[in-house]
Amino acid sequence: MKRLFSIVIWLVVALLGAGAFAKIAFDRGESLNATWFVVAAVCCYLVAYRLYSAFVAAKVLALDDTRATPSERLDDGRDFVPTNKWVLFGHHFAAIAGPGPLVGPTLAAQFGYLPGTLWLIAGAAFAGCVQDFVILFCSIRRDGKSIGQMAREEVSERGGFIAQLAVLAIMTILLAVIGLVVVNALKSSPWATFTLAMTIPIALLLGLYLRFVRPGRVLEASVMGVALVLFVVVAGQWVADSPSWARVFTLSGVALAFAIIAYGFAASALPVWLLLAPRDYLSAFIKAGAIFSLAAGILIVRPQVLMPPLTRFIDGTGPVFAGKIFPFCFITIACGAISGFHSLISSGTTPKMILRESHARFIGYGAMLLESFVGVMAMVAACAMPPGVYFAINSPPSVVGNAGDAAASTISGWGYPLQAQTMTDLAHKVGEITLWNRAGGAPSLAVGMAQIFSSTIGGERLLSIWYHFAIMFEALFILTVLDAGTRVGRFMVQDLGGRFWKPFGRTRWMPGVLISSAIIVALWGYFLYQGVVDPLGGINSLWPLFGISNQLLAAVALVVATTILMKMGKLRWIWVTLLPMAWLVIITMTASYQKIFDANPRIGFLAYAKVLAAQIAAGRIPAEKVAETQRLIFNQRLDAAVTGVLAAMILVLIFEALVHWYSILSHRKESVLHESPYVATRWAADYSGAAHGDD
Amino acid sequence: MRHLSKTAARLFRRFWRGLREWCGDAAYETYLRSNGKQASPTCTLTPAEFYVEQLNRRYSKPNRCC
Repeated sequence: MKRLFSIVIWLVVALLGAGAFAKIAFDRGESLNATWFVVAAVCCYLVAYRLYSAFVAAKVLALDDTRATPSERLDDGRDFVPTNKWVLFGHHFAAIAGPGPLVGPTLAAQFGYLPGTLWLIAGAAFAGCVQDFVILFCSIRRDGKSIGQMAREEVSERGGFIAQLAVLAIMTILLAVIGLVVVNALKSSPWATFTLAMTIPIALLLGLYLRFVRPGRVLEASVMGVALVLFVVVAGQWVADSPSWARVFTLSGVALAFAIIAYGFAASALPVWLLLAPRDYLSAFIKAGAIFSLAAGILIVRPQVLMPPLTRFIDGTGPVFAGKIFPFCFITIACGAISGFHSLISSGTTPKMILRESHARFIGYGAMLLESFVGVMAMVAACAMPPGVYFAINSPPSVVGNAGDAAASTISGWGYPLQAQTMTDLAHKVGEITLWNRAGGAPSLAVGMAQIFSSTIGGERLLSIWYHFAIMFEALFILTVLDAGTRVGRFMVQDLGGRFWKPFGRTRWMPGVLISSAIIVALWGYFLYQGVVDPLGGINSLWPLFGISNQLLAAVALVVATTILMKMGKLRWIWVTLLPMAWLVIITMTASYQKIFDANPRIGFLAYAKVLAAQIAAGRIPAEKVAETQRLIFNQRLDAAVTGVLAAMILVLIFEALVHWYSILSHRKESVLHESPYVATRWAADYSGAAHGDD
Repeated sequence: MRHLSKTAARLFRRFWRGLREWCGDAAYETYLRSNGKQASPTCTLTPAEFYVEQLNRRYSKPNRCC
């Protein structure tokens, strides 16, 4: 009877999800209520978690709760800490949820809401969650080893080295592109720039408090810090209203890029307790609060989605970024569906803290489902504004012009009616000078979030406060990724340099710290500057580059996972990781090829370089602009080379893996699994980590 | 009614403990209770030493994603 009841309940959930999906896919009315998106997504997640993740856990991985996890065997109270599964879920989710699932879907909305939403949900269920879950499991069985170490042991030495290089490359591109998102969000906005700048002294204050006054008392310090941050969001309006102060905080894109580069260097070289860690605490609380508020806001307001399911830009002529729906929708969505970077977290802190193997399903698979839901919410927020406004905010000046009637008429000509006055009024309402040409996803997402929040609390009166709260929230946690990433990049550079000259590898040797910080900052800073001065809008070239590198890293993780499954004798179920891997290889290789060789200069790096070179040769570039144009040509060729090297690295790794798989399957080589030996757990079956608490 | 308030108090205690563990507020207490620490009780770090050492370890590897 109980079983029958369960079947009926799950059938209802599945039918509800299918119905909501059908409504989203086939509705061709004026507009669609956002509730359909929430229902479709939640029902699909529930079914995927209940059925597919259970299948992966039971049949493919055969999770074993009688086996002691690293947190039990190696408990040291520092790295290896047995942690309650709900707390660890929060840890893991806070670590994997970055700006990607917010920015990617917002940019992909240029194709319409349908393709992005479908990939966010299906991609997460069948690829992203599986990757996170399987890699977490593999790392648990190997005492929390990293993806690089596992690639070296299970695939080949060269495979491990390639994985390490891929991580450094993706880190460089990632930091540049998220820096660019911040630049475009703060450009010519004294309110937003002041608010974000003030988070630095607030973080320093918190750092000193946590180090010298009340060591480690994170909660009380964070409460003080969040209160101060909310105060500076409001105070930003006073700065914007004061002509003299507004001038100080009104910065150009280039000035902001250099400020962010200087900040990245400082965060990497200064003691971690002073700036980086307290900012991270602030960011974690504000991120959690903003994401839950957005979910609640969408459920309360139930906004109408005004973007059509498919736009005319599926043909590759999109103004935000150029390229057809295949493969660029997948490359652009990236983290909301599958992120290679997650494999670093799933093989980093989380496996060292997990209580038992069965928790890997809830934490690995479940946290990624939640991240995908964040992506769906970002898609809803972006699509809830009139499409004309969306394209006005996200299109670069080279496509629509700088502002005004001509740009509005271009956008209206695409079939998305817009009046210049609408943009002027909207900018005035949100307290900005202009909202034209703010590519990068952050401002349009902030407008969408502000409209949802203000419909819940405060109405139009608070629209400007909510807009700047949303910008602060996005920029704050983007900068947290930027400073933490720069520091990790510094360690990687020191690790590489230390192989050639030992003192350089010492992480406390100050010259080494300064030089390695300068190297990593110079690497991403160069790409950031290049993006800021790019006339096509840097997002057009940098976001696809980031998407490609991120998805290539996911392919690396799935190659490692497939190899391990093969060695475990799970050949029958190998399609679970092999199919997503094959799909990622197809989309990344197609995107890489198009970004390098496509004849359209808005897509192909080399074609754009060729057009610019022809313009110089024909004397169509003014003499004072020739040097700048030559630099642009160099940058395009550099981007082509970086894309080519990334693709080549992955092809080498896949070739290595194929050779290895052939050797295993043909019994030419002994299949050696590098798992830690089985040790039976000493914990009772109902132990949930409560012994570490107070009840 | 009393049962309800007891349940609410228990849930709140659990939530509070989870929040403290999630944000790192309870890290030092966890360290003092850990098996590794109890195996070598002579070299206990002070709260300030533990805080700095823990941060240095945490921020030397990827811990924030895109």
